[in-house]
Amino acid sequence: MITIDNVSKVYPNGSHAVKNISLHIERGEFVFIIGSSGSGKSTLIKMLMKELDVTSGDIIINGINTTKMSHSQIPYLRRELGIVFQDFRLLPKKTVYENVAFAMRVTEASSRHIARNVPTVLSLVGLQNKSRAYPNELSGGEQQRTALARAIVNNPPILIADEPTGNLDPETAWDIMYLLNEINKRGTTVVVATHASDIVDQMQKRVVMLDHGNLVRDVKRGGYFDED
Amino acid sequence: MRISSIKYYIREGFYGLLKNSLMTIAAITTVAACIFIVTVSYCLISNLHAMLRQIENDIGIVVFLEDDSNSETINKVSKSLNDIPNVTNVTYISPEEALDSLKEEWEADDILNGFNNQNNPLPSSFEVSIDDIKNQSEVLKNIEKIDGIKKVRNAENATDILLKLNKVLTFVGILGIALLAVISIVIITNTIKISVYNRKTEINIMKYVGATDWFIRWPFIVEGVIMGLIGAAVPIIISWPLYNKCVAMAYEHFSILSNIATFLGGYEIFSRLLPICLLAGVILGVAGSVSSLRKYLQV
Repeated sequence: MITIDNVSKVYPNGSHAVKNISLHIERGEFVFIIGSSGSGKSTLIKMLMKELDVTSGDIIINGINTTKMSHSQIPYLRRELGIVFQDFRLLPKKTVYENVAFAMRVTEASSRHIARNVPTVLSLVGLQNKSRAYPNELSGGEQQRTALARAIVNNPPILIADEPTGNLDPETAWDIMYLLNEINKRGTTVVVATHASDIVDQMQKRVVMLDHGNLVRDVKRGGYFDED
Repeated sequence: MRISSIKYYIREGFYGLLKNSLMTIAAITTVAACIFIVTVSYCLISNLHAMLRQIENDIGIVVFLEDDSNSETINKVSKSLNDIPNVTNVTYISPEEALDSLKEEWEADDILNGFNNQNNPLPSSFEVSIDDIKNQSEVLKNIEKIDGIKKVRNAENATDILLKLNKVLTFVGILGIALLAVISIVIITNTIKISVYNRKTEINIMKYVGATDWFIRWPFIVEGVIMGLIGAAVPIIISWPLYNKCVAMAYEHFSILSNIATFLGGYEIFSRLLPICLLAGVILGVAGSVSSLRKYLQV
């Protein structure tokens, strides 16, 4: 599903954020990418969603080599990826319903299709009663659930979450992780960048650890600080 | 492009204007102010231009015949004059008519008192009008070839000055309006840039959920069109009656003006200005929006 082949990233200021990383993620996998700040995990995530270009190497997503992609093709790549951010990134002037519907609107989905799918995903994340609320009327957890609903409403094969629980209290963080796990069970490949060690420890999923841009650990089922 | 998407773009365009009302008002005011200034300058310049043309055309050519011209010569000359290209009108003035009009003009003076139809010193003459002052020298050359003419009077020097004045005015006018247009474009794009900057997170989010550049652009284009149309319509709506009022006042207070030249009618000016301004407004709005967006689409 995702193949990262010998990928490096050097920023214009010369800092070598990612060094020759190779990684393969199968369809339906749940992968944690962990590492301290500056380990390169954010850079890696940004390259996956084509916010940044790789300096060398290839990233192949769903059979398409994204490193050779033109600017005009990027939107179509992003529709294959549900993306969740630490800071939620909801449209502040749109309601919960409109925020989720918007992700369908950009794919030029029909109004009927939108009217059918949006309530379904909203109830999946438990926000069926908040559909008319604006983001600033929601708690952090509710905002992140809205973002999750938006990420999955187009039924993408891959979900990428960059520190999805970074702005949430521990209990709410678990709600989000539970939802991510549910989404994974429905067949979506889920990649989560995080440094929430307790969550990683408890969930016992595949863990990929980066340190100073190097891939230092990749275990099928593990915790945050497991030794090889 | 789907119909539902088009509806979405238009609705989003209107929402964008309403939800960013402060920036909308700023942008519309800027467009309106710039177009207002251009409108006023255009009114001034086109009126001056028109007045100059009127004065130019009043300076006709007068052709004097030999003193003893009989009616046959008069007819022949009349025909020859009429045959010259660019001549629009030829009026015969008999010596009697010439004397009468001269007496009328010099009413207060008694210098002409001794003259009557028997000892009239004035010759027969023709007043020749031409279509455009530019063709004057050409016409003069042709007139000089006609037999039976004693003298041709024309205001070639005055014409030259007027022609030059008109050229300068046209140049200054075009330069002025072009300068104003450039200043307007700078101000307008800056205003729109701020408006787009305020929504950069919004644009950023759109990119992340897979919106194409055009999907993001269209609502902004709709906004630009609406802002441009309102920004152009408002100054026209204000300046049209204002112009009519000014012209009426000018006639009232400076009645001497009506002898020299007349102002252009409001309809004459604004029927020409309206489509240009609307088009300019739309182009300014759209170009401003699209060019300001470019930076934020490169994500």
